[in-house]
Amino acid sequence: MTDGIQTISLSKQFANGVTALTDISIAIRQGDFIALVGRSGSGKSTLMNILGGLDTPTAGSVSINGNVVDFRNRKNLIDLRRSQVGFVFQQFNLIPTLNAMENVGYPLLFNYVPREDRNERAVRLLTMVGLGERTGHLPHQMSGGEQQRVAIARALVGNPSVILADEPTGNLDSKTSAEIYQLMREVNGKKNVTVLIVTHERELASYCDRTIELRDGRVVS
Amino acid sequence: MIAKEVDFLRMSARQLLTKRLRVALTVLGIAIGVAAVIGIVALSDGIRYQAIETIKAQSDLTLIEVHPMTTEGVTQFITDSNIAALRTTPHVIAVAPAFTDSYSTNRQTFLQVIAVSGDEINKVLNLKYTAGRAFVPATPEVVFGADLKDRLQRNEGIRIGDTFTALVRDYDANGMPVDREVPLTLVGGLGNRDDQFDNYVLIDATTASRIRGNARGYDTVFVRVDDPDAVFGVVDTITAQGLEAKGAFEQIRAVNQFMDAILIIFMIFAIFALFVGGLMITTTMITSVYERTREIGITMAIGASENDVIRLVLYECLLIGIIGGIVGDFLGYLFTVVLNTVGKPFIIARMGPEFTSIFGNEIARLSPDMVVAGMAIAIVFSLGAGLYPAVKATHLNPVEAIRGLI
Repeated sequence: MTDGIQTISLSKQFANGVTALTDISIAIRQGDFIALVGRSGSGKSTLMNILGGLDTPTAGSVSINGNVVDFRNRKNLIDLRRSQVGFVFQQFNLIPTLNAMENVGYPLLFNYVPREDRNERAVRLLTMVGLGERTGHLPHQMSGGEQQRVAIARALVGNPSVILADEPTGNLDSKTSAEIYQLMREVNGKKNVTVLIVTHERELASYCDRTIELRDGRVVS
Repeated sequence: MIAKEVDFLRMSARQLLTKRLRVALTVLGIAIGVAAVIGIVALSDGIRYQAIETIKAQSDLTLIEVHPMTTEGVTQFITDSNIAALRTTPHVIAVAPAFTDSYSTNRQTFLQVIAVSGDEINKVLNLKYTAGRAFVPATPEVVFGADLKDRLQRNEGIRIGDTFTALVRDYDANGMPVDREVPLTLVGGLGNRDDQFDNYVLIDATTASRIRGNARGYDTVFVRVDDPDAVFGVVDTITAQGLEAKGAFEQIRAVNQFMDAILIIFMIFAIFALFVGGLMITTTMITSVYERTREIGITMAIGASENDVIRLVLYECLLIGIIGGIVGDFLGYLFTVVLNTVGKPFIIARMGPEFTSIFGNEIARLSPDMVVAGMAIAIVFSLGAGLYPAVKATHLNPVEAIRGLI
């Protein structure tokens, strides 16, 4: 398999001796819509952080679209975050001083995309997530659901092949959560982006094509 | 490339605008430091300028006296080649070699004699005669300086046209002094010059050698320079030949050395002020980085490199530095204006009206160089102060930062 995500014998042990992941070997095809479930402390977020190049494994390897991630090479990790992976967080994590359009275009600043192009792409994506009329609004002027939509648009702006969403509906009510899942599903379908959603809500996980369950740092299903 | 940096700068400016009061206080801190530096340098430059202008007005700055240098008891006399080299030195327009001697009158009035070539000394000193004329070469004619002429006329009745007896002291084989009488004729009196020539006797060098009975080597060369600003360069050339240079320029050099010493002492205080301003920036930026831990973590998660984060923080410092520099320059300007309008009359009132001319111009002088330097100092201090917080920001663990664990 070349496209998608593949991990081989991935393990992570923290400096304090806590083992977060043990021998994780998974294969996710390009365009899959996957739920990563498990109890708190099962290693979901750690796995997601490693897949996104925010954390490093103590053993094993990760391949994204056939390219093995070199965790010792900081530039390689930065390139991974810039062009292959988009993040969606539970807390939305928008920059409070930037409006919706600027927040969406923010990652492109570090790819040195001119401002006009950034804005154009941001407006297009905001329109796609249903916020075409709110491009000039600051995060605190938007609801939680709207902020998460902006975050999804931000995750998509670099045309990544993978979106990693860590509890994206954890701060939202059930109706809005369903809307966000629906939106991510649409994004997954329209753009053939692999979506990996970390969640502990079984009901929401049922929206996904497949579920990977972790328990005590190991894949159980 | 430039557009990218402008984008980063704009982003940093947005950050600063979110904490206006804190940034304003930080800017004020660095601005006070810059204003202190500018004010001190402007005041020092003003005083230095006034002192030098006063020396220039009261002294013959372009006249240099050259003497043999005595080092560890060995005197290097002035040679013909030295004089030839002086004549070809750039900016030197006239050279008058001379030697000194001493006679006395019958009433034991000491006479300091300068033996020169009449034409050359005229070119160097631009001698003005208030009475009589210049001496004729190879004759026993002499010219008195203004003070000496008045004194000898008053005390000994020697007037222009009179021949008087000068006593020239020799020593016999036993080393005992023997005074020899030499008739000299006073043919001219110089106008008042306010320098040592007011008390000199000028005599033709050939005549002076004949009076002594031997050819004398030169012990003094009077050098005229065309431009006051070129004097120090000519002095350097003279000292490079192993000769000693004297003149009004020494006063300027002394003023410069004194003012430099004063400036260094004052600058220590100004640098303390700047240092405090720098610490304020460091504190502001550390606080800012701490408050934005999550934001920096997100920024790194979405693709910013360490250099990008450093750049974002340092651009904030740069902006603080630029604004601080502008405000500091303005405060420094205000300081000089206040000093020149309020401080000057106060100082003159304290020192007395005779100092009015000394402080005729500004007592604090703000030059464009100082304004540029003030801006540069503010920027350099700001960037320096921001380095630690910037590097600290890059050491944040994005995962922990985003989760709010830091």
